[in-house]
Parts: sequence; structure tokens; C-alpha cells
Amino acid sequence: MNIYILQIANGIGIGMLYFLLAVGLSIVFGLLRFVNFSHGAFYLIGAYFSFQLGEMGLNFWWSLLVAPLIVGVFAWLVEKFVLRHIYALPHHFHILFTVGLALVLQEAVISYWGPLGNNISPPDILQGVVMLGSFIFPKYRLFVIAVTAVMALVLWWVLEGTRLGAIVRAGSESTEMVSLLGLNIDRIFSLVFALGALTAGLAGALAAPIRGVDPFMGVEALGIAFVVVVIGGLGSFFGALAGGLLVGIVQSLMSTIWSEGAHLMIYVAMAAVMLLRPNGLFGRSS
Amino acid sequence: MIKRRDFLKLSALATPGALTFGNVFAQSDAIKFGCPVPMSGAFAANGKYADMGMKLVLQKYGKVLGKNLTYTTIDTEGKPATAVRKLQEAVDQGTHFFAGGILSSESLAMGKEAEKTKSIFITTAGADEITGSECNAATFRWSVPTFGAIAQTVRPLLEKLPKAKRWYTITPQYVFGDGLLNAAKDVFKEKGIEHVGNSYHSLAEKEFSGYLTNAMAAKPDVLLLLNFGSQASDALRQAVSFGMKNNMTILMAWASGLEQFEALGPDICDGVYFGAQYWHAIDSPFNKEFVSFVNSSLKIDPNYSFAGSYICTKIVLDAIIKANSTDPKAVIAAMEGVKYEGLTGVEEIRKGDHQVIKNYYLLKGKAKSKMRNKNDFADIVSFGKSFLPLDKTMCKMT
Repeated sequence: MNIYILQIANGIGIGMLYFLLAVGLSIVFGLLRFVNFSHGAFYLIGAYFSFQLGEMGLNFWWSLLVAPLIVGVFAWLVEKFVLRHIYALPHHFHILFTVGLALVLQEAVISYWGPLGNNISPPDILQGVVMLGSFIFPKYRLFVIAVTAVMALVLWWVLEGTRLGAIVRAGSESTEMVSLLGLNIDRIFSLVFALGALTAGLAGALAAPIRGVDPFMGVEALGIAFVVVVIGGLGSFFGALAGGLLVGIVQSLMSTIWSEGAHLMIYVAMAAVMLLRPNGLFGRSS
Repeated sequence: MIKRRDFLKLSALATPGALTFGNVFAQSDAIKFGCPVPMSGAFAANGKYADMGMKLVLQKYGKVLGKNLTYTTIDTEGKPATAVRKLQEAVDQGTHFFAGGILSSESLAMGKEAEKTKSIFITTAGADEITGSECNAATFRWSVPTFGAIAQTVRPLLEKLPKAKRWYTITPQYVFGDGLLNAAKDVFKEKGIEHVGNSYHSLAEKEFSGYLTNAMAAKPDVLLLLNFGSQASDALRQAVSFGMKNNMTILMAWASGLEQFEALGPDICDGVYFGAQYWHAIDSPFNKEFVSFVNSSLKIDPNYSFAGSYICTKIVLDAIIKANSTDPKAVIAAMEGVKYEGLTGVEEIRKGDHQVIKNYYLLKGKAKSKMRNKNDFADIVSFGKSFLPLDKTMCKMT
């Protein structure tokens, strides 16, 4: 099979994981107008909780479910007891707190699990590769594509097809209006923040068998998540999807075309999109 | 996984006062060491263990020439410019002895700065240039350079696999990666090996599936990984997930030792070949003593980053004692040409380029069922010393 087709298929696999990593950041910004610099740390602890649960004997499927939920609950507590008290402060306070939280979580991971990385094996059923002619793809990566695709559909349905989604969308336009309708906007904020963290935690748990876990994975994930949301447009669900896929495919294709520049081209793609559409592919002008 | 209590115990070494029990603060004439290593970013795990290695050896020596030993951790972030700036700051505060610089790019930069500031810098980084075209009087290197690492891994593997004629390489694009790649190409040419492709990648890369797809399309007999640290781990882990271990032999030319095996686990390492500067099971008198000391002090087996930092600092300490002086010029003279019992057997610092002449090892990962203890991840397949003759290193010591 043509190498470029192989790379596009591979890029879709990478891109769907990037989407899941970034979509929470985007949704949280869409509703709260709050840029969460601790989003990468939620990805980090999602991966480590998954690892720890596996070490404690919980099977992979349960850890995939439980680890993101723990991250979601943790984020809900952080939002409820700290973040909501700083929303009204200038942006640099938001940055200061969330960067600080990310550093605390990273150091906590190092203190508990040590500075070295660890490996997580996929379950037996997902080990090995699928071969279609000359197309070889790890079963686990196919599983990740399937899970992220299902998550994309669920999130889309929640945001577009449910009452909660309607409130979230209305809240992103005007929180005052939603409050005047008698809805508890604080609770919605908490819920959305927890949902955003949960998706990052799930991305971490899914990524762990692919790239292992190490204490510094949150920082690199945050960088990628920002690139994806800037390309797609801050606050846009479809933007996160398009941005994730674009970044994944660019990275994978460039591995063949100009391998030494593959990582750099992610940022070149971002710069190109910003030049052509400063608000991102699906972003709204402010 | 490191046990939480063990790690906290190790981390406790870092607390102020742990080193010299408080009286260090009163000593303005203490002998000051610096440990410039990446403590954050992709290579931070290596840096953190190197930091522990320096602390332990300084603790062991206690005092030298009647003076306390102090030390500062310098987070280079793996960036040459940051490393140089922080090294300058340390020199301004009276530090003139440095052991560290895990990455070649930062080591090259710090070596130049050490010479400018009349200090001593000893490193474990790999680029040939460090003791080659960019050598200087202030810089020493304990580790085998890229030339020797390739000679002691690619050549013995070719002898074991004479039918492996097609090799693919994955290389980080910086001075260390290019050093390994050029050395490998020379061996390929000499042995009639077909180099079916190379994928360069940046130092920030974590996702290797694209490069592995290129490699699979080239259908090599051997996949030669020329990257280092967590990048090498990521590349290997992803190669195994693509089933490449079943279709080809995988060789990682420069493994970062025990810490890497612990991070990867035996299932991934089984059957893979690794080049190593150090392995805790090396059968040499000083290594046995060292492993026993670390076992009793910290309840761990020493890994490469730890051991490299320990021995580099020890070499400088012994030279200070031999010179009976802390004048860097006298210490350099005491280091040059010295032969000593080292971790890899008898080691010697070559005067002409300040390169330590020592063994490099080829390991083979073993199955979990064959491990005799939790750190028995690999067998030593072969080892030996390979260095360019002095007149071919391009080192012109000033």
C-alpha cells in the first residue's frame, strides 16, 4: 500500500487522541472563558491513575472507566472550592493558579511514583497487529480510534441534543441570561469543568499503553492541546475534532516527507491557520 | 515502580544539610561542586538520578583536604543556552568543579564555558566532538563516545547475524544522533550493509509511529535506534506495538541503562539488543564494591545516570586529593593519564583528549520468566574498548 495512505491512516489514529486531549480545554473555554493551564496535568493524572489501578489488580477496562472518573471528581472539587473564587480576577491570576496546580500535580506524581516512566500493557485481546495486505496497524491503536470516535459522538450529542447542552451553549453566550432563567450556573460550570478534565483523564488513560507514563507527559500534552484548539478555534467542539485530525495527519505525513521537521510542522500548520483564519477553522470572531 | 518510601528516602538526600550536616553553611572555603543536568523536561529522570549519584559520593568522602564538600543542583532543562547561563552563575558563586551534562549539545556548550572560566567539567554525554574537534583542557568525558558505542554494538551484532543485510535507522537530529549515525554508516559501508533508510526526528518528539511506518515500509532486517532516554523508550515501545520485534531485530545503540529497563518492563525488552555504558552486573572489583555500597545506602541497584555521576565526581575528588590542591590547573594535571579501578574494570584518562578509556557493553533483554531478580533484565552479550586513535580524534588541546 502506498506509504502516504499508511501515514494518513496512522495520522487519523494520532489525531483522534489529540482531539480527545484538546476537546475538554476547548469546551471549558467556550463556557467559562477560562484558559485552563492545568489541563495537561489532568491528562497526566488520568494516565497515572490508570497505571496505579492496574498495579492494584483492577483490569484494564475498569481502570479505563474509573481513572477518568477520579480525575473528573478531583477537577469538580478544584472548581468548586478554588476556581470559582478566581473567575472574576484578571486572567493572569487564572494562569498563575492553573500553572501552579499543574506543577503541584506533577511534583506529587514524582513524589509518589518516582521520576522514571512506567509501562502499561494493553489487555491481551488488544495486543498484536491487524494486517490488511501491507497495511499493519496495532490493534490497540484501532481500539483508541473507536473509543475516541464514540466519545466524540457522545460529546456531540450531549452538547447538541440534550437540555444540558442547550444550557451550556446558552451559558457560553450569556451567563446572566441563564441565571435569570433560574438555572444554577455555578453548578453548570462545575459540571463542564469536570467533564473537560474527565476527557483529558480519559485521553491520558488511553495514551498510557501507547507511550507509557512519565511525570512530564502533562507538559507536552498541554502544548499539543493548545495547538489543536488554536487551529480549530477556541470553544468549538468541531474545531477540536478538525484540529486534532489535522495535527495528527500533518505530523504523520511529514514523518515521510520531511521527517526531521515533522514535529515542527505541527506549529507551522498552526501558524498557517492563524494567518488565514485568526479565530481558527471553526472559531467565532469575538 | 519505585517504592514511594524508597523515593522519598532518595529525595531526602537533596535536603539542605543532608550533605554536610549543617556545618557547610559556615565554610566559605568549602570545595564547591555543581551538577548541571536536566531536572525538568524529557530527560529529567536521568538528571534526577545523576543528582543523587553526585550527592552520595560527596557524602561518602565527607571532607577533602580538610575542607567540606558542597554542591549545587543546576537544572539545565536540556537546553545549551540555559546550561551555560546557569553554569556562569555557579562560577560567580565560587563553584569550579562540574560533573553532568547528560545531553551532548549542552555538554559541548558547558565544556567551552568551563574552559573560559578556568573550571573543570566532566561529562557522560556522547558526541565525538566533546573529546574530538571541540575538545579543551577543562573538559573530560567518562562515557564512551558515539564511535565506540557503534563499534561495540553494530559490529558484534553483525557477527551474530551475518544475514542481516538491510538496516533502518531512527535518529534524533542533533550532534549526538548525527555522531551515532555517521559512525553506523561507516560500519555499514565497510561491511557491505544496505542502509535502507533513516528517519530523523526532533528532540521534542514523543510520537514515533510515523517514523516506524517508514521503517516497516522499507522492510529492514534490523531496526537501529539511535535516540536516547525517554525518546528511545517511546520509539522502542511503539515499535513493539507495531509488531516489529517479530519481523526484525531491534538494536538500541545507546540505552540509558537500568532506569530504561525499569520503565519499559521485561515484555518489551525481551529479545531486544541494547548498547550500554554501564550495567550493575558488570563483573569488576570496584563495581561490586560500588553496587554493594549503593545497595546498603539506598536499597537500590545503581543505574547508569546514577553511576556515571558518581564516578565522574569521584574522579575529580581523587584528583584533588592527588594534587593536594583545589587549583583547577593542578587538578587537571592530576587527572591526565591517570589509571584507576573503575566501574568497568581498569579505566584510564587519555591525556591527549581527556577521554576515559573504558568498556562499552552489548546487552540482550531477557524474558520475565528468566529473570533471577527484579533488576535482572538483560545478559551481557559482549563488551570491549573502541576508541579512535588520538591522531584521528581531531582533538587539538590548547
